[in-house]
Amino acid sequence: MQEVVELQIGQFALIYLLLLIVLFVMRKCRIHQTKLLFVASIRMTVQLVLAGLILTYIFEYPHPIFTVLYFVVMTGFAIHRVLSKNKGLNRRFQWAIACSLTVSGLFVLVFFIVVVVGESIFNPQYVIPIGGMIMGNAMTGMTLGIKTFQESFQGQRSKIEALLNFGVSPKKILLPHVNQSLETALLPTLNSMVGMGIVSLPGMMTGQILSGTLPMTSIFYQIAIMIAMCTVVCVSVFGALYFGYQSLYNEKNQILLFQKDQGLR
Amino acid sequence: MLEPVLQIKDVIFQNIEYPSFEIQKGNMVVFYGESGSGKSTLFKLLNATETVSAGEILYYGQPLEFQPTLELRKKILLVSQMVYLFGGSIADNFRIFYEYREEALPSLEKMRKYLSACCIDFPPDTSCVNLSGGERQRVFVAIGLSFLPDVLLLDEPTAALDEWTATCLIENVSKVCKEKGITLLVITHDLHTVEKFADVKIELQKARRS
Repeated sequence: MQEVVELQIGQFALIYLLLLIVLFVMRKCRIHQTKLLFVASIRMTVQLVLAGLILTYIFEYPHPIFTVLYFVVMTGFAIHRVLSKNKGLNRRFQWAIACSLTVSGLFVLVFFIVVVVGESIFNPQYVIPIGGMIMGNAMTGMTLGIKTFQESFQGQRSKIEALLNFGVSPKKILLPHVNQSLETALLPTLNSMVGMGIVSLPGMMTGQILSGTLPMTSIFYQIAIMIAMCTVVCVSVFGALYFGYQSLYNEKNQILLFQKDQGLR
Repeated sequence: MLEPVLQIKDVIFQNIEYPSFEIQKGNMVVFYGESGSGKSTLFKLLNATETVSAGEILYYGQPLEFQPTLELRKKILLVSQMVYLFGGSIADNFRIFYEYREEALPSLEKMRKYLSACCIDFPPDTSCVNLSGGERQRVFVAIGLSFLPDVLLLDEPTAALDEWTATCLIENVSKVCKEKGITLLVITHDLHTVEKFADVKIELQKARRS
């Protein structure tokens, strides 16, 4: 295997030229998002350079506290993103999301690194990239799952009210919404598993191959990470929805969102 | 004298103050009054999807709050003005609502009977997709009626109906309720059509608490 070509700053900067093509197409098609393209490119560059600097430091001076801190920040950011994309949830539902993301993310990460890879859970070289992929996917799946649940809950208000008025339990009414939202959250991950290796060589594998890892090794890692992602999305979204939906009704079987004195919270 | 089915005593919900009254078994009671007087909210309080802020509602002398809510809602059933029907045929709708309630589905003959009582003469295999607003509302009432609750609450059942159909619906439904001993409570803006079938009329006014 050839060693990866180290990118020099001058060489590396050439890649930004491709953005000019994007800019040109956007102008031609009157897509008024040039500011977003500019901000996104700058933010991505700054954020990744900062992450690179932090990672360089952590790899040079590995200490469990750095690894833990990195995971905590990652998880906190994921929770924050999910909650900011899904406004109007009550406090208990928010807690269900936060706990579910943390517990399921940590569980899958520990299983992956300690049981499958056989490395220390404090090894930053494994925890940070793998943890990032796990939490990132959990975040995307969770956002989608909760959004679907909220939309179906609000969109089917007349159905929910009709069934409630007829004496059907909130649990029985809401569980199908939970199941449907979980399915929606899982589909992108399952679909990407179907096309993997044919439609695309995923990012992690590409990165490993570029840095000189044997293709078979990187494929094993990729399979492992895909299964880990599928599991974390499934478990975290299930946990959040299952514990969260129970916060939407009280012991009198009244759906709280529908109550006049409760508003949306 | 028999114990009333429902007693409303000094009930307050948020800033709405209700008059105290009693409802006797098997009666048909019509509620009317201007918008915002709390008619629909009263029905929600009666079937425990809302809770009173003060005062109490008694069902056969027992406070509502001490009764298992799901069982209570099956006995005091509310057909709200927000109509919901599933996709598929009228019979499919009966089936789905009965499945949700975990009860045995009535026969097609019985379905026809309840539909006819609600002035719907289509066969049960008619698709609900092409029904008009008024027809959907009557199918919804027919499903509610078919559960034969102890108290049936109909919130604006005639809102989308012409006078003839509204009269037909109220006359037939009140007749079925009398036969089965069901206490029928109806909210209406169309007092003229409904009042001739009523045993009692109750006007609710905007009695706001300061």
